[in-house]
Amino acid sequence: MTGLPASLLESVAAAAVREGLADALFTRLKTPIGRLLVVSGPQGVVRVAFETEDEDAALAEVAAALGPRVIGSDREMAAPRDALAGYFEGEPLDLPVDLRLARAPFRHAVLERLREVPRGKTVSYGELAARAGNPKAARAVGTACARNPVPIIVPCHRVLPGTGRLGSYRGGPERKAALLDLEGIRTR
Amino acid sequence: MLPPFWSLVEAHGDELLVHARRLSGEAAEDVLQDALLRALRAYPKLRHAEHLRAWLYRVTTTTAIDHHRRAKREVVMDELPVVATYDTDHDDFEGLIAPLNETAQTALRLRFVDDLDYDGIAARLGCSSAAARQRVSTAVRTLRESYA
Repeated sequence: MTGLPASLLESVAAAAVREGLADALFTRLKTPIGRLLVVSGPQGVVRVAFETEDEDAALAEVAAALGPRVIGSDREMAAPRDALAGYFEGEPLDLPVDLRLARAPFRHAVLERLREVPRGKTVSYGELAARAGNPKAARAVGTACARNPVPIIVPCHRVLPGTGRLGSYRGGPERKAALLDLEGIRTR
Repeated sequence: MLPPFWSLVEAHGDELLVHARRLSGEAAEDVLQDALLRALRAYPKLRHAEHLRAWLYRVTTTTAIDHHRRAKREVVMDELPVVATYDTDHDDFEGLIAPLNETAQTALRLRFVDDLDYDGIAARLGCSSAAARQRVSTAVRTLRESYA
């Protein structure tokens, strides 16, 4: 973090966006499940990172894929900020996403199908594997979820093991439980 | 591979602002804002990811110098409209200041021909910076009045 005046940083960001100099934009957002890093490219949100993740690594991952002109701005990221804040207050979340950080085709397919699972509903790993075209690939679905670059927006917290237990989560099981609780789903 | 640009800004922004303040005083934030934009334009064209902190210092220094030049042109226009109409050609300038006493002429030459700031003028005249500023402004006023 820097001690530079926010007004200076926002002016640089606004001018950069105006001139088309930004490869990606990011913001940090306070939520009931802790701070989130949200990064957008020209086509949508490319990365959401929990505060437990290495922020520098997440931004470097984006820079490698979209270009090094990665710029922080709360103002330029107002739309995703508002949408996520709304989600935590119970509203539906509909933000454009860019899944290019999930390169493997099957992982990509899993995340695409997962986007169709609405708030308040869940799906099992096996069922999601079937929807993505390979019913036997429940384990690969687990990997796809564990590496989901845009958690919350692509709702991997809605994927549960067939046992009815909670299962694992990139942001830790307590965050998965908190998100499901927020959506009115009780888990064991 | 180049790191995310904002990681550099967050890591070095504070010291760059201190640097800009040393060079440009009150204009430091404007200078730094401009410098960061210039750096951002050039960033993807950098051939390697080394010495990025030193590079940002260089961009900030260059930007401060450009701002200083631009500001000085504006100051000259502000302070000395009479000279501006004389096109600051050397002979014209000397002719213009000829009616003034030697002290006033020297102060104006140091300021507008040698292009020194008040600290520089003070060093040449062996007086304080405030006294140098005073001499220049008195000379400009006298000049204005003599051509009014």
